[in-house]
Order: sequence, then C-alpha cells, then structure tokens
Amino acid sequence: MARLKDLPEPMRSHIAELPCPEFDNTPWAQGGKLSQRRVALLSTAGLHTRDDRPFAGMEGDYRVIAGNSRANELVMTHVSTNFDRTGFQQDWNVVFPLDRLHELAEQGVIGSVADYHYSFMGAADPAQMKPSAGTLAGLLKGDNVDAAFLIPV
Amino acid sequence: MGALAHYLEELGIPTTQISLIREHTEKILPPRALWVPFALGRPLGVPNDQGFQKRVVHSALELFERQTGPVLESYEQEAPVSADTESQDSDAWSCPVNLSQPAKEQTSLEEKISAFRREITELMPWYDLGRKSTGRTAVAAFDPDRAAEILCAFLEDRTPEIREYDISLAAAIRISAQDLRTFYYEAVSSQPGAKAPASKEFADWFWTRTAAGDIIKQVKEKCSGESDRDLKLTGKMFLVPMV
Repeated sequence: MARLKDLPEPMRSHIAELPCPEFDNTPWAQGGKLSQRRVALLSTAGLHTRDDRPFAGMEGDYRVIAGNSRANELVMTHVSTNFDRTGFQQDWNVVFPLDRLHELAEQGVIGSVADYHYSFMGAADPAQMKPSAGTLAGLLKGDNVDAAFLIPV
Repeated sequence: MGALAHYLEELGIPTTQISLIREHTEKILPPRALWVPFALGRPLGVPNDQGFQKRVVHSALELFERQTGPVLESYEQEAPVSADTESQDSDAWSCPVNLSQPAKEQTSLEEKISAFRREITELMPWYDLGRKSTGRTAVAAFDPDRAAEILCAFLEDRTPEIREYDISLAAAIRISAQDLRTFYYEAVSSQPGAKAPASKEFADWFWTRTAAGDIIKQVKEKCSGESDRDLKLTGKMFLVPMV
C-alpha cells in the first residue's frame, strides 16, 4: 500500500522530503457531462511505444502514445527503482488503463477515448514539465479532449 | 503529477487524477484527485482484474461531475490480495528454474560475469515461452544479451558503444539493468505450472540469489566512484532499490 506511514525506511523519508510545488490557488476548468466527455490518459510512468526514444534524462519531455496502441507496444523506462514494476509487466492496464477507458466508452459512461495519449517521466522537476504542458494543452484541444486523466506511478 | 494538473487546467483542459501519496496532493492541491491506498507502481490497484480497475477509473472520472473544487476524495477499498502481492507461508514462491551456480559462490569478476551469462542462457527458453504465450514482453530497449554486454563491458573498463539510441552511457546502463530485471521476472513467471512471484519475493530472490543482482550491485559501486556526474547519480539512485 502507498500510505506514507507504512512505507519502509529510507524510502518513507525520501518520499516525505521530496519538494512539492505550491500554488496560490487552484484553477478550475468547466466541462460537460461525463457521458459526453472525450478522455485522454496522461501518465508519469515513463511510458512510450517500443520504437520511440527511451526516457534518458529528467528534462520534462513527454512521449505520444497513439490510442490504437496495443499492450506489447508499450514499455516503461522510468528512472526510479523504488516502485513495483511487476504489475505493469503482467498487465499494462494497472498503470495505463486504456482498455478500461474503451470499455467505459462502449458502456456510455464517457463520451469517447482520445486518439492520442501522453506520458512523462515523473521524476522530472515539475517546473520542467510546464513548457511541455503548454504544448500538450494545444494538442489535447486539437484532439477535442475535455477530460485529462492524470495517473502517477 | 499535481503540478501538471495545475498547468493544464490553467490552459483550459479539465483534469482529474489518481493520487498515490496523499500528503503530496494535500500540498499541491490539484483541481480533482482521487487518493488510492495502492502500492507504488500500481495506481489502478491490481493487474488482471478488469472489474476492480474499472471501478477505480470510474471513481476518478466521476470527479468531473463536481461543480467546485479543489476536490480530494479517498478510494477506501484496498486492492485485492492476490498471489502476486502476498504469498501464503504454506505456498511460498520458489524459483522454478534451477540456476546452475549461485552468484555468491563466485569471487572474481570473470567468474561472476561467467555465472551471469550462464543464468541468461538458462532463463532464455522460459522467457521465450512467456513471450509466445502472452504475446508481450515489457523488456523496453535492450534484449538480455545486449543488456548484459553493456553492463559487463562497463565493469571490465571496455566503454560500451551505444549504437541503438542517442542516450548517455549512464542512461544505457540504467535501462539495461531494468530490462534485465524484467527479463528475469518474465522468465521465472513462465515455466509451465509456475505462478508469478509476489513482487517482494521476486525482489528478494533477484537481489540475493542471482548473479544478475550481484553484477548490478557491482555496476552500482563502480558508477558511484566515477567522476562523470550522470554515472555517479545513476550509481547512487537508479540501479538498486532503496529497500
């Protein structure tokens, strides 16, 4: 489990002491009903398709994952050794639930699934992700996404 | 993760997210977040449980229906205990593959490397079987022999040439070590009748019983003593888990 108090040392202290950016207020973008929204996944698990570049540094860069990607095409090159990868090795949906999104779309719970999804490598300084986030916002709007589902690892 | 939500929301993209470390989310205060009590590395809780995963996804997406925020909800249901997260004492996992020579018995670097390469050869048939059976491997960038060559060349002071990608030696070493762990996990999970080891059991076995674990620890030590900043950081942080 990921309750901070239950993590073993020295990992507990390492995670507890990670600097967190603080913001003066929380922005709030409105949207329509969930059943009409178009959903994209944004992961910070260092995911990319097998023929794309591995995550080699911590520059806040991201990779594009096409919505028709299959499990065998998606790999993980996150820099950290301190989380369990065996779940992803068995089932990509435990990290990147693209199959679950498609099922929810078929059931009418959400409107549709985006054509493109994205992954960062979460150990990067959040401030370094800000320029990429600007680019991403444009790409998401271009894909008519009005619901971004952010998933850490 | 929460900072990314702030950036995107400011630019007009509504976001919701999974939170794994509640204390971080309480500081960052993203617009919508669902804290889950799952292990790091498993934000949807449990592999191969479609219903459980879908309920978590739905709970996070339902936060889009809220009219005001920030919202930080809790998902109180623990992930199901499965064979791959906790073993029962009476049914503890043991490696189904008989590795020919335990790494600890080797002393010289040459012998350790020899034992390491022999392990890969012995595990390869099971890895291949697993790939055929599942149609998938999570090995990302370097096949096992290539990953082993990169690590061994570094240990033997033969600077490995990385032809496949435009990445630093430090990154290639890190990814090689990760890919080898993935290869070992997939191989020992694939013998007919074998079950996937629990993550802790696998980690205990890999780091204490295999030549690969021993080699990666040696690479860590060597990296830590290098003057190159990336190699030093990789040795310190990115090769061997903290626990």
